[in-house]
Amino acid sequence: MEFDVILGNAGRAGLGPQAAIFALLVIGLNLHFGYTGLLNFGQVAFMMVAAYGTAITVATWGGSLWLGIPFGLGLCVVLALVLGLPTLRLRKEYFAITTLAAAEILRLLVRSSPATDITGGPFGLQAIAGSFYALNPIVEGRYGIGTFSYTANQLWVMIVGWVLVALAATLVFLLIRSPWGRVIRAIREDEDAAASLGKNVVGYKLQALAIGGVIGGLAGVVNALQQSGVGSESFGSQVTFMAYVVLIMGGVATTAGPIVAAVLFWFLREGVDSFLRQLSEEAWLPDLLADFLYDAGGAVSIALAGIALILLLKSRPGGLFGKRHEGAADA
Amino acid sequence: MPERAPERNAGGGEVLPEGAKHDPILVADGLRRSFSGIRAVDVDHLEIARGAVTAIIGPNGAGKTTLFNLLSGFERPDAGIWSLDGKRLNGLAAHRISRLGMVRTFQLTRVLARLTVLENMAVAAPGQSGERLERALLRRLWRDQEQKVKIRARTLLQRFGLDHMADQPADTLSGGQRKLLEMARALMTQPGLIMFDEPTAGVNPALTQSLLGHVRKLQAEGLTIVFIEHDMDVVMGISDWVVVMAQGRILAEGPPADIVAHAGVIEAYLGRAHGLEKGGAAESEASRD
Repeated sequence: MEFDVILGNAGRAGLGPQAAIFALLVIGLNLHFGYTGLLNFGQVAFMMVAAYGTAITVATWGGSLWLGIPFGLGLCVVLALVLGLPTLRLRKEYFAITTLAAAEILRLLVRSSPATDITGGPFGLQAIAGSFYALNPIVEGRYGIGTFSYTANQLWVMIVGWVLVALAATLVFLLIRSPWGRVIRAIREDEDAAASLGKNVVGYKLQALAIGGVIGGLAGVVNALQQSGVGSESFGSQVTFMAYVVLIMGGVATTAGPIVAAVLFWFLREGVDSFLRQLSEEAWLPDLLADFLYDAGGAVSIALAGIALILLLKSRPGGLFGKRHEGAADA
Repeated sequence: MPERAPERNAGGGEVLPEGAKHDPILVADGLRRSFSGIRAVDVDHLEIARGAVTAIIGPNGAGKTTLFNLLSGFERPDAGIWSLDGKRLNGLAAHRISRLGMVRTFQLTRVLARLTVLENMAVAAPGQSGERLERALLRRLWRDQEQKVKIRARTLLQRFGLDHMADQPADTLSGGQRKLLEMARALMTQPGLIMFDEPTAGVNPALTQSLLGHVRKLQAEGLTIVFIEHDMDVVMGISDWVVVMAQGRILAEGPPADIVAHAGVIEAYLGRAHGLEKGGAAESEASRD
């Protein structure tokens, strides 16, 4: 058992692009669920729409990446309006179901064979991020110690990803501190009360949905840059539920919670994964158990993450950063 | 900020044929609403006198809360028109009606639980530029207005004896304090007309007196007040005009003293139905809220 390798793997994942992508996704979701009370079960759709909007512009239409990214983010605003306008007047359960269904339908559409000419269907789209990596100022090479290391290109995505995380978190912080944020939180507490005080509830919800959706879209853009391509398998509903796990772990309606929890989540997930992989190679382990750990390591690490979350919430119901009052998740 | 409070009208309650009042602030005609075949509200004509305190009484299920919901835009009527200060309200969303100066409270108090008491107040202030997305990010665009809003909020909290709770989350308030907060919060919107849905329900006698004191002061400041009430002592003590509803219709209206003498009212409300109400039929109306 080589613990330095495990720790290195865990650390690399915790600070890596995946954690930044998740942090963005969760910051957007936090604006929806944490501050506005929108039960958005389709956050991954915003991520997917932005990623595909970017990739299609480049790979299918031969356009510039720098046009593709704003186009993809613009699609997130469109998606927010299409999802929100018919459903935000209804009770929140309807919105939850609509978002969940819409995310799955969009994913199936994107990967269907008739769409292959545009989206690449089941094969996805590749080689889209050339002009992004052309800007990489970092000298070729590997940076770090042991398994805790990154290539120059990985480092470049990470830097851009974490800068976007910082910007998104600042944006949400400033918005929530303002009277606009106070209205949003009032709507979360009681829509009818907010309406009786003269607030246009649907209008504010749409704004929050669009902003949080665009932030989720940034996660999709970074994901597309990191993989230099898109594939529909990255955008299943489990991504949204992972985002909820991270959000609740960090503390609903907090600024730092989503970021710290995203780092911790990927650190633990990769750490446990790496540990189980090594464990399965130990000679003293019965073959049956070793094979199980080897095949189902991913599932086991997710199960362990679930147990860890339950234990955490038992001791800190508001999550890591939850204030006693605002943090408690109420869904 | 727009000055919405209307001038005080001393009379407010002189009886005219067909329920017409001198200088009505709110006029409704042909207001109807059915729930699966049952007429919840069927009001031919209703006028609310400016500057008066009008009580709406009636047995549970009489349609009082539904009438409130219709007038305040929380429910759409099947038919009917109504107007505030001559401005047509039908078809307007609830928040637009509130902005025109008619604010309502709810039968079950609706404090914004995880906001502080001060935030509960501040959010209700009208015309805040910092509530617009394009201005929210830059604090200097709304800092001055925010300060004024908070000063006004604290002044009102003081008046309602809640200033010591200003920075506490609203869900730490007691039931009675929540009623007070809801009343104070409604005032933050600078309304001309306030509709209270059972302001004294579940409130101890001492606090009831304090709430009524506040209502009287509001009237003295020129506000028009409409309230739903079950406690006849409260109705008699405070209202200038009483509207009696039963089965969705207006059964009678008049000054409180005349209403007590009215045989139909005694039958519909004070006598026969009064015992029923204590039996626990309160939920039927609460559920329509």
